[in-house]
Amino acid sequence: MAAQTKTDVGGIVRPAGPLDRSNALAPYGGVLGEREAAHLLRRAGFGGTPAEIGRVVGTTAAQAVAALLALPATTSIAPLPEFVAAGHPQRRAVILELQLWWLNRMLTASPLQEKMTLYFHGHFTSRATPRFPWTTYDQNALFRQYALGNLRELTRQVSKGAAMLIYLNGAANVVAHPNENYARELMELFTLGVDNYTEQDVRESARAWTGWQVDRRDNLVSFNPALHDGGRKQFLGQTGDFDGDDIVNIIFEQPQCARFFAAGLLNWFVYNDPEPVLVDSVAALLRKHDFELSPVVGTILRSNVFYSARAYRALIKSPVEFAIGTYKTLGLSELDPSVLAALQQMGQRLFFPPTVAGWPGGQNWLTSGTMIARQNFLTRLLNSQTLSSSSWLRGLPVAPSTAAKQLSQNLLQSDVSPASLVEFESYLGGKGSAALASLSVENYDQRVRGAVYLAMATPAFQLN
Amino acid sequence: MKRRSFLLAAASGLAVVANGEHVFAKALAQSPLPGLPGSQGRCLVLINLYGGNDGLNCVVPHGDDRYYQLRPGLAIDRGSVLTIDKDVGLNPGMRSLKALYDKGEVAIVQGVGYPNPDHSHFRSTEIWQTASPESYQHTGWLGRYFDESELARDNLFKGVAVSKVLPEVLVSEHTDIPAVPGINQYSMIADGNTVARDAFSRQARDRRLPFASPYLAHVMEIESDAQSSSEELPHLIAGYKSRATYPSTGLGRSLALAAQIVGSNLGTKVIYVEHGSFDTHVSQKNTQNQLLTQFSNAIGAFYDDLAAHGDDRRVLTMTFSEFGRRVEENGSRGTDHGEASPLFLIGGGVRGGLYGALPDLTATNMGNVRYSVDFRSVYATVLERWLGRPSAQVLGGAFKQLPVLA
Repeated sequence: MAAQTKTDVGGIVRPAGPLDRSNALAPYGGVLGEREAAHLLRRAGFGGTPAEIGRVVGTTAAQAVAALLALPATTSIAPLPEFVAAGHPQRRAVILELQLWWLNRMLTASPLQEKMTLYFHGHFTSRATPRFPWTTYDQNALFRQYALGNLRELTRQVSKGAAMLIYLNGAANVVAHPNENYARELMELFTLGVDNYTEQDVRESARAWTGWQVDRRDNLVSFNPALHDGGRKQFLGQTGDFDGDDIVNIIFEQPQCARFFAAGLLNWFVYNDPEPVLVDSVAALLRKHDFELSPVVGTILRSNVFYSARAYRALIKSPVEFAIGTYKTLGLSELDPSVLAALQQMGQRLFFPPTVAGWPGGQNWLTSGTMIARQNFLTRLLNSQTLSSSSWLRGLPVAPSTAAKQLSQNLLQSDVSPASLVEFESYLGGKGSAALASLSVENYDQRVRGAVYLAMATPAFQLN
Repeated sequence: MKRRSFLLAAASGLAVVANGEHVFAKALAQSPLPGLPGSQGRCLVLINLYGGNDGLNCVVPHGDDRYYQLRPGLAIDRGSVLTIDKDVGLNPGMRSLKALYDKGEVAIVQGVGYPNPDHSHFRSTEIWQTASPESYQHTGWLGRYFDESELARDNLFKGVAVSKVLPEVLVSEHTDIPAVPGINQYSMIADGNTVARDAFSRQARDRRLPFASPYLAHVMEIESDAQSSSEELPHLIAGYKSRATYPSTGLGRSLALAAQIVGSNLGTKVIYVEHGSFDTHVSQKNTQNQLLTQFSNAIGAFYDDLAAHGDDRRVLTMTFSEFGRRVEENGSRGTDHGEASPLFLIGGGVRGGLYGALPDLTATNMGNVRYSVDFRSVYATVLERWLGRPSAQVLGGAFKQLPVLA
């Protein structure tokens, strides 16, 4: 999330304790235990079933990350959203179809590809125009195509996409009436951060971006030279008759640009408000690899700092991570459409970020209202028919104490307090409470659902 | 003493003795929220007329021929306007509001807006809610009011949004404001299962976790807030009996809940409700007249109820909408996004009358009403003179106050 790279956003907290600077980005040496494996799957994707976590346990970070980095080609996405397959739509409901389609991909497709797509959605924000959902789909597809691609090229492409040209008024930016909206946000929120450019740079960049037009109905973007300002511009210390591509190139020459993206990636994958020295190391990597993401994300996901105790459960799950993570953990393979309403109540509507700065994240995700929405989402799901398709819940041991430990391990990698373990066991066994009969074949299903709720209501499950 | 039992005791008026002290008496002595003398016990009810309420068919400039020329299919007939003076009158649906106006309890501020108006619903809503036309802020102006005044962090109900999602206006840096769409929806479903609920509470108290996280304390605090506030609210407001008949509309139900919260004396300073949508691009007349009628009827019942409980002088209601609409009607008997529009301040503490400049329909900004009052002037007035707090920090500058409050 772009906003997390800005220090003036509240509610973003760095873990306590010092960073081990000497080998922070060096490869983690050992094999992955259960906690490390689950941590990797949560951060590089949306978590996993006990079996999926089990397959990563005992491998090295290098092996596990290599598998995650191997993304499928985006030329053969299937299934496509219905409206994309059918042609140009004009129906408003389509944006809901698109949300559900994407969420289902997060649940079932390449986890890191969708995790990076989600990252870019919060970084290069564009709010959807429900009447023109095609533009939103195209931007989403672009993020997926560049999931581990080149950041500079992605920045060029997203700048010239219909969704962005509409959202930040690029299509209204013509030589006779320059509109500075996109030129400003490109630097402030997408590539450099405040105080790294002047108002003059904003004006000159706006001139360079003039001439891009959108035919909304047909979703066509075109460049009209008659509306473009072809004159000389002075931008970030350079002079020339720049166009938009030149502007992006010059921005990416600034050392601050690499730092800005480095902070964004660390905030997304490792922990919030990363130390400047760590940001600088990742920025150096980005420059070394000419802004190719795959090697840099790979280094981060293999690193000592990624597997350090300071990074462990150091982020608050976004609503999307929370909801998809719940389905993933339980091994459910298809989302109930009610997840859309639940996500809205939890405070995250895909394609409708609250501001151009994206979702502020961190503590800002959690209020009494959004917490109630999270708990009620769990309760509804755990009482629904959907749950019966869970691959592993039915196979729990019948002895309450063993079942309690198994639940704690499968759902939370045993990150629970002693009191929780007692409560799971008592609840499963009906002990210490006159209201419950002891565990039996008849009440087993109901009792397990309740115990899963208790486990998912613990603090660890809110944390990523 | 735990907050939960304190609140229950406070609501029921019981004196709870703990450690030899009358906790309720002590808590009451501490509970007056910071503010100038007289601001205690006051509440601001903010109504978001979302979608962009057409100001000209709401506060009708019936004395202006140009209004009738530009809106041949849409203007409100002179005969049906609820006349205020020779220049303006109210939409015919707003009889209850007119009655309050005639009692001197409604201030109409005309031409409210801000510099360089934005015509996007989304951005303009954000501007009104964050009170920041120039830059992006992630906190709302009333969220910053809570931050600035350090209003009792312990009071779970210092602000309440009667909405599904917490509106930006109440987003704050340091406190947690509940969004309560209705009393039945603000509950944890799992609480129906008392065994699970009690187990949840017990395990939530054990902090011996085998990992550290910079967010652990926050998560635990919010989990506890969510559980206790959703459990407490129905009990805390159960003693209140409504003394008015509210219309069975969404806004009617929202304001009934607002009156119940005010009358239950929870120390609530701000209540947010919403009504709409006023986005009338097509066939505006029926839609807007109906919405304004619903608004006026709900307000009428609300103030009847408040007055019957003696609360009408301590509740100030203020409306806002992200923008007004284009002066000239469009080809679909509707209007497109515009700029300045009027807002209402309602309540026994208001100095009733007309404020701001009458819209000048000959000197528009590309067809839109120009603003004569910056909305931050209204906010500054409400902060300083109603809530009793300094406004410059909250609003990012000093704004001229209006003499709209008695």
